[in-house]
Amino acid sequence: MAHPLQLGFQDAMSPIMEELLHFHDHTLMIVFMISAMVLYIIMLMMTTKLTYTNTMNAQEVEMIWTILPAIVLITIALPSLRVLYLMDEINNPHLTIKAIGHQWYWTYEYTDYDNLEFDSYMIPTQDLPNGYFRLLEVDHRMMMPMESPIRMLISAEDVLHSWAVPSLGVKTDAVPGRLNQTTFIVTRPGVFYGQCSEICGANHSFMPIVVESLPLQHFENWSTMSS
Amino acid sequence: MAGEGEPGSEKTFKLLGILDVQNIPCARESILYGSLGSLVVGLGHFLATSRVRRSFDFGMGGFVLTTLGCWIYCRYNHAKLRIQQRIIQEGMRNKILYESSDFDPERKQNSNRGSNS
Repeated sequence: MAHPLQLGFQDAMSPIMEELLHFHDHTLMIVFMISAMVLYIIMLMMTTKLTYTNTMNAQEVEMIWTILPAIVLITIALPSLRVLYLMDEINNPHLTIKAIGHQWYWTYEYTDYDNLEFDSYMIPTQDLPNGYFRLLEVDHRMMMPMESPIRMLISAEDVLHSWAVPSLGVKTDAVPGRLNQTTFIVTRPGVFYGQCSEICGANHSFMPIVVESLPLQHFENWSTMSS
Repeated sequence: MAGEGEPGSEKTFKLLGILDVQNIPCARESILYGSLGSLVVGLGHFLATSRVRRSFDFGMGGFVLTTLGCWIYCRYNHAKLRIQQRIIQEGMRNKILYESSDFDPERKQNSNRGSNS
């Protein structure tokens, strides 16, 4: 989860999020260089004593400031398109989970198993045990097996919501009357936090998402006990 | 940014408060090579022409070009390496899963060698 005053991304827990982090680093370096160059040029402009007020044409500099940005854009676009197509790759999910947004909680349905569905409400601050995360903990976490492709079908019962878990690189709108699909793989066991990401009323900030990934054996034990 | 965890749990040095040169792959090498390139180009131009302002301009340009060039080259190779690592991991996982079963590619290879000899 995020720590206080965090500016950057959370650690990546899925291959797609790793790719997104790498792409972000690549783009940030390019932006860093462009910013350094622009600041340097501004400093030069402010400290020069040379002035020339009769410029009629400047073919050479116009060529440079047309071609260079085009090259920069291509350098950013190629990795971007690569990540975009990676996100759309077809894999064979081992499990399908439905997440349905309500005001103001989530329902998770495991239709691959009989009668396995539950609601996930935020634990109010006054009921929170010591050491737990305020406004992030829920009574029933969404469990899933690690290192297995998971298909998430996301929808809503009432108004727009959005199912988002930053460390997995997932954010999908929950639209009433529509099923949105996303797939991901969690590479490590752990607990990952997210929050509803589409304004949905008074308690929009109080319907968090908690995903717990387990080794397959433990997940099967949990699903057996729960269904 | 890549690999950012709890503050203070691992050393991070953020250049100008933005760029974490210790944890981002290729960042440290790019900045160091860029600084070296900037020094070489700027100093070289000054020694050749004795023009201070223009030498600074060349130094700045050298910094940007060397850093970006080194960065793109290193990241491209890093990406190829990551893809290879992923293929190897997948192969190892499949080897364990399929060992001695009909899907085991080694079993097919051995049977082909047996039939050829």
